[in-house]
Amino acid sequence: MTNRERAINLLHYKPVDRLPAVHFGYWSELLTEWAEQGKIPKRLAEGGSRDGSTNDAELDRIIGWDFNWNHTVSGRIGLMPGFEKKVLEVLEDGTQRVQSHSGIIERITPGVVSIPSEDDYLLKDRTAFEELYKPKMQFKPERINLEYFKKFNETRPQDIPVGLHLGSVLGDIRSMVSVLGMSYLLYDEDEELFADIVDTYAEMQYKCAEAVLETGAKFDFAHFWEDICFKNGPLLSPDVFAELCAKHYKKRCDLCHRYGIDVISLDCDGVTELLLPTWFENGVNTMFPIEVGVWGDQFEPARKKFGTGMLGVGGMDKTALRKDKAAVDAEIERMRRLANMGGFIPCPDHRLMPGTKFELVQYYAEEIKKIRI
Amino acid sequence: MSILVEISENLQRGKAKVVKELVQQAIDQGIPVEQILNEGLLSGMSIIGEKFKNNEVYVPEVLVAARAMNQGTQLLKPLMAAAGVKAVGKVCIGTVQGDLHDIGKNLVKMMLEGKGLEVVDLGTDVSAETFVNTAIEQNCQIICCSALLTTTMNVMEDVVKKATEAGIRDKVTIMIGGAPVSDDYCKKIGADIYTSDAASAADAAVNVCS
Repeated sequence: MTNRERAINLLHYKPVDRLPAVHFGYWSELLTEWAEQGKIPKRLAEGGSRDGSTNDAELDRIIGWDFNWNHTVSGRIGLMPGFEKKVLEVLEDGTQRVQSHSGIIERITPGVVSIPSEDDYLLKDRTAFEELYKPKMQFKPERINLEYFKKFNETRPQDIPVGLHLGSVLGDIRSMVSVLGMSYLLYDEDEELFADIVDTYAEMQYKCAEAVLETGAKFDFAHFWEDICFKNGPLLSPDVFAELCAKHYKKRCDLCHRYGIDVISLDCDGVTELLLPTWFENGVNTMFPIEVGVWGDQFEPARKKFGTGMLGVGGMDKTALRKDKAAVDAEIERMRRLANMGGFIPCPDHRLMPGTKFELVQYYAEEIKKIRI
Repeated sequence: MSILVEISENLQRGKAKVVKELVQQAIDQGIPVEQILNEGLLSGMSIIGEKFKNNEVYVPEVLVAARAMNQGTQLLKPLMAAAGVKAVGKVCIGTVQGDLHDIGKNLVKMMLEGKGLEVVDLGTDVSAETFVNTAIEQNCQIICCSALLTTTMNVMEDVVKKATEAGIRDKVTIMIGGAPVSDDYCKKIGADIYTSDAASAADAAVNVCS
């Protein structure tokens, strides 16, 4: 069997010869660590490892992974063009205030590896939306590389699953206005404007997906990114989320179904439980990456609640890969139990972080491939 | 409806401009500053905090309520000293060294202020020495450390060690929180209090100070 067949079969409750060893990429700092330890060539650390890239594939071979689930392709589904990334100010302590491609102003301290602090944002009112953002949110033919997608079925990797990236209904907007800006706009200043932003952006991403599918390109799954939850659940009320977003999930998922794509995954960090009904009822059927280690998210309760239609990729506590063999063995056993439920592919529950032990990752990849279900 | 109830209710709805206007009206009516603060602003934030703990409201409602409270307290601050209104206690707070993500820290800060505590906000990427030195210099009863990353949470242990070395460990309570942090981790590093959400952190801080 190819890994593509294994993945498709597992998510359709069909037999497989063994589990595939699946991952979700790395922090770049981990690759630097591994290169310094002589585990991987320096050029792989320096070149980075974008999901699905040739570097990613080479790391798969070195480590023993079968594939990265986050291997997806799409048209240009973001702001086009993005804002110019520029340093606006350097503070006394060296901290930089940087305008990002999404128009958010972040505080970045050189040498500090961290998710940045959100300091300010451009998208504050209707004028900013109409003048700065709306033109960047329109569908244009140049968003789609037609030649690439027309040849996609022949040129794509044949032995691993590849997904169509459907974009993000709310996560990208949050990245443009920050959590603070989203809160102010949505709950106090201009709820109607916020809904307009969501609708405008969603329409562009829908048209991008439609244009790609119309080329005849075939995909094994489709995929959303959101990251709209944290340790204690969603970043906003599930009812408000449903009101703003449900119709857009449904529209894009219905489109995928018309083109024969029946596995639609969604990447959301944090505890996702309260948003699952909106996703599941509107066509998203695969949880990813199910962060058990840091946030305590879980797959089993979702399976119990939604039944066998709820699929999962992820759920393996990646922090075990920083500990020891016993911790990894315990996770492998837990993964065996989850995989035996069917419709589930084990995968570390997020990108592997600094301090992850190379030998333990190799061991995990080797052992998970020994599991027959 | 009394004006103080109106302040509380509008604060809960995040109506910053209305809250500011109502607080000014309350001052003009001669209502004591402490009463405006406690029965208007802090009462509203307290209700929001409870609802947040119970998942009845979410992060955005807390953020807009806190903004409304700030609008009100800006008007009250100049009058509070003259009226002899004292804070419930004093806390310094920051994200630990190496960690710039501060949404959680800011939420806790808002909740602490919503309980009437004075907060020294050290910002992000704060070293263990800075936490401890600030606690000494500003006479803080509590140090609050926040971390988003498993790679930075170890700095919390350094804060505990530095506080011990500085001889203030028995005088200062060290509270920790953030995505990767747990009660077990709190015990392991010898910190005092872990809470899983911002509202519970504020409740715990009030208990410490009272």
